[in-house]
Amino acid sequence: MAVKVEHLWKTFQIPHEQRTTLFENLVGLMKPKQYETFTVLKDVSFEVEEGECVGIIGDNGSGKSTLLKIIANILRPSRGTVKVEGKITPFLELGVGFQPDLTVRENIGVYGTVMGLSRKEITDRADEVIDFAGLRKFEDTKLKNLSSGMQVRLAFSTAVQTDPDVLLVDEVLAVGDMEFQQKCFQVFEKYRKKGVTILFVSHDLGAVRRLCDKTLLLRNGERIDFGDTNRIIDKYIYKLEDNAKEDAPAAEKETGWGNKLIEISSLKFIDKCGKENDNFISGDPFIARIFFQAHERIESPVFGIIFYYQETYCYGTTTKFKGCDTGMIEGSGHVDLHLDSLPLLQGRFEVTVAIASSDYKTNYDWHDRLYSFNVHNPTEDLGIIAMDGIWMLQKDA
Amino acid sequence: MLTANHIHELYRYRDLILRLAWSDFKLRYKSSALGFFWSLLEPLLMLVVLYVVFSNLMRIQVEHYQLFLLLGIILWNFLDRGTSMSIWGIIGKPSLVQKVYFPRDILVISTCITALMMTALEFVVFIIFMVIFRVMPGWTVTYFPILFIFEFLIILGLSMTLSALNVYFRDVQFIWRFVVQVGFFATPILYPITIFPENVRWIVMLNPMAQIITMMRDCTLYGIPPDLLNLAYAAICALALLLLGYAIFDRLEPKFAEAI
Repeated sequence: MAVKVEHLWKTFQIPHEQRTTLFENLVGLMKPKQYETFTVLKDVSFEVEEGECVGIIGDNGSGKSTLLKIIANILRPSRGTVKVEGKITPFLELGVGFQPDLTVRENIGVYGTVMGLSRKEITDRADEVIDFAGLRKFEDTKLKNLSSGMQVRLAFSTAVQTDPDVLLVDEVLAVGDMEFQQKCFQVFEKYRKKGVTILFVSHDLGAVRRLCDKTLLLRNGERIDFGDTNRIIDKYIYKLEDNAKEDAPAAEKETGWGNKLIEISSLKFIDKCGKENDNFISGDPFIARIFFQAHERIESPVFGIIFYYQETYCYGTTTKFKGCDTGMIEGSGHVDLHLDSLPLLQGRFEVTVAIASSDYKTNYDWHDRLYSFNVHNPTEDLGIIAMDGIWMLQKDA
Repeated sequence: MLTANHIHELYRYRDLILRLAWSDFKLRYKSSALGFFWSLLEPLLMLVVLYVVFSNLMRIQVEHYQLFLLLGIILWNFLDRGTSMSIWGIIGKPSLVQKVYFPRDILVISTCITALMMTALEFVVFIIFMVIFRVMPGWTVTYFPILFIFEFLIILGLSMTLSALNVYFRDVQFIWRFVVQVGFFATPILYPITIFPENVRWIVMLNPMAQIITMMRDCTLYGIPPDLLNLAYAAICALALLLLGYAIFDRLEPKFAEAI
C-alpha cells in the first residue's frame, strides 16, 4: 500500500473579520469570534497500491488540490488519517524557492535541494539539467534575466531529477506549450515504468485517460467514485448518477432578433444516455434539440444551426439543406439534429440556431451563439475536429 | 518536539539547511557593489560613534574599551539580526511553506545560520582589532565556543517563538523591535556591570544575554574563566528558551500553510 487515505475530513475556518495582529486580537477578546466554516473534504477514503497511477478529477472547488496538499503533509487533516509509504515529492508548483537574483546554476542547487536531491546528485547532474533545459549559454545568468518559459524549463528539468516513491502532480502540465506538455508526459511515463506511484490532479481528461490506471472522482469534497479511469471519466462527463438536472436558463443574453412569429424557446444537447448535457466525448452520439413555439400557422419554416469554435465557423446546416420539409407548423414542438458520432475532437463549441421562412426572406428568430457545449478528447489526436481514419502501410517489395 | 528522532531528521536535511542559509547569505550581499564590506562597516561605524561618546563624554573607564565595546556590539548584533531575520523566516517564504513539505523549523534554523555567517564575518574584524591592540587571549578563550553555542541556542529558541507567532500576529515584529532596543541598553554592552550598585546587579544579570556577554568578554579579553554557576545559569536559560520555542512552534505549525 503506497497511499492510504481513511475517512479524511478537512474544514477551513474563515473568520468574518481577519485578525492578524496581537492588537486586534486583544481588542477582539471582548466579542466572540465569528467563523464561516467550509468543509472542503467530506469523509474521503481510498487506497493506492504501489506503482499505480491514479488520477483525481472533479470540478473547481471539489477539493482535489486540498487532498493533494494533505497527502503531501502541507495541510493537516481535520479528521481521519493519511498514510504514505516512501519518499513523497510534490509537484504542486514548479520552481519553489527559486531566487531571481541567483544564477541558473545556483538555483539548480537551491531548488534541487528543496526537491530532496543530495549535494552529490546535484553536482553530478547539474550539467545534465542545464543541457536538458537548453540553457547552456545562460548558466551564469541571473534567473530574473531569463524568460518565464526558460524558468519553467529549468524548474522542470531540475524537478525531474528526483527519484520519489510517491509523486504528487497538480496541474503542472497546464503551463507551457504543446512541446513542453509532451515532454512532461514522457517523464511521467518514465516514472510510471520505474514503478513510482503517481497521484495526478488534472482538468485535462485526455491526460488522465492516457496516464492513469484508476481515477478518483470528487464532487464538493465528496468521493463520488473510485475505479477504472474510463468508467469514472464517463461518469464525470455524463454526470450519470445525477437524477435531478439543474435547468439553468440558457442565458440572460440578448435573445436574438427576428419577428418572433415562431420563437426558439431553447436549444438542448442530448447525450448518448438520452439526457441533457453540455459535455460530450468525441465520437459519441449527439443530438441538438431545438424547441420552438409557433404563434401562427406557418408553412415549412427552415431550422438552421451553426457550430463555432472561437472565431472559426466550423459547420452550418439547415433543415432545407438536408432536404427535410417541416410542413405546416403550429404550437410548440422540437426539431432534432442527430449525429451518430460527434466529429468534433476537443474544445468548447458555440452554437447559433435560427428559424427563417422557406425562402429565407423572413427571419423568425435567431439566437446568435447563445449556446455552447464541451467536447472531450478520448484519444491522443490533436486539433478540433475528429477525422476517422486509419493508417495503412504498403512496402515496395 | 525536539526529540532525538527529530534531531536525526534534521541531520538528514543538513544539505537543505546549509543550502538555504548559504543562498540567503549570498543574496544579502550580491546586489551591492562592495558586497559584504557593507556589513562590516555597520558595526564599525557604530563602534566609532559609541566609543567617542562613551569613552570621552561619559568617561567610562574600562581596560581595552574599544574591544570591550566591539565584542559587545557584535554579540548583541548577532541576537538582533538572528531574531529579526527569523521573524520573517516563515511568512517571508510562502511557497516553501505552501507548495512543498519539509520540517518547517528548517526555515528558522537556516535563517539563524545565515545570521551566524554574517556574525562570523564581523569576528574577522574583531580578531584584526585584537591584533592591532595587541591583546592576546589566554587559555580561558576555550570557553568562548561554549558560550557562543549558548547564545546561538537562545537566538534559535527566540526565533522559533517569534517566527511562529508572527504568522498569526503580524505586529509581533514591531513589538520585538522595541524589546531589542530596550535590551541593547539594559544589557551591559556599552558599560560594565560595575556601574550599577552592588545590590541591584543581580537583577541586570538575570538577563542571560548579560551573563553571556560578560562571560565572553572576561574569558576573551581579561583571561578570567567564567563562574560555573553563571555558566550553568546561561546553559539552563538557553535550553529553556529553546524548548519553549519548540513547544510554541509545534503548537502553531500545523496551520502555517493556511494562515500565511
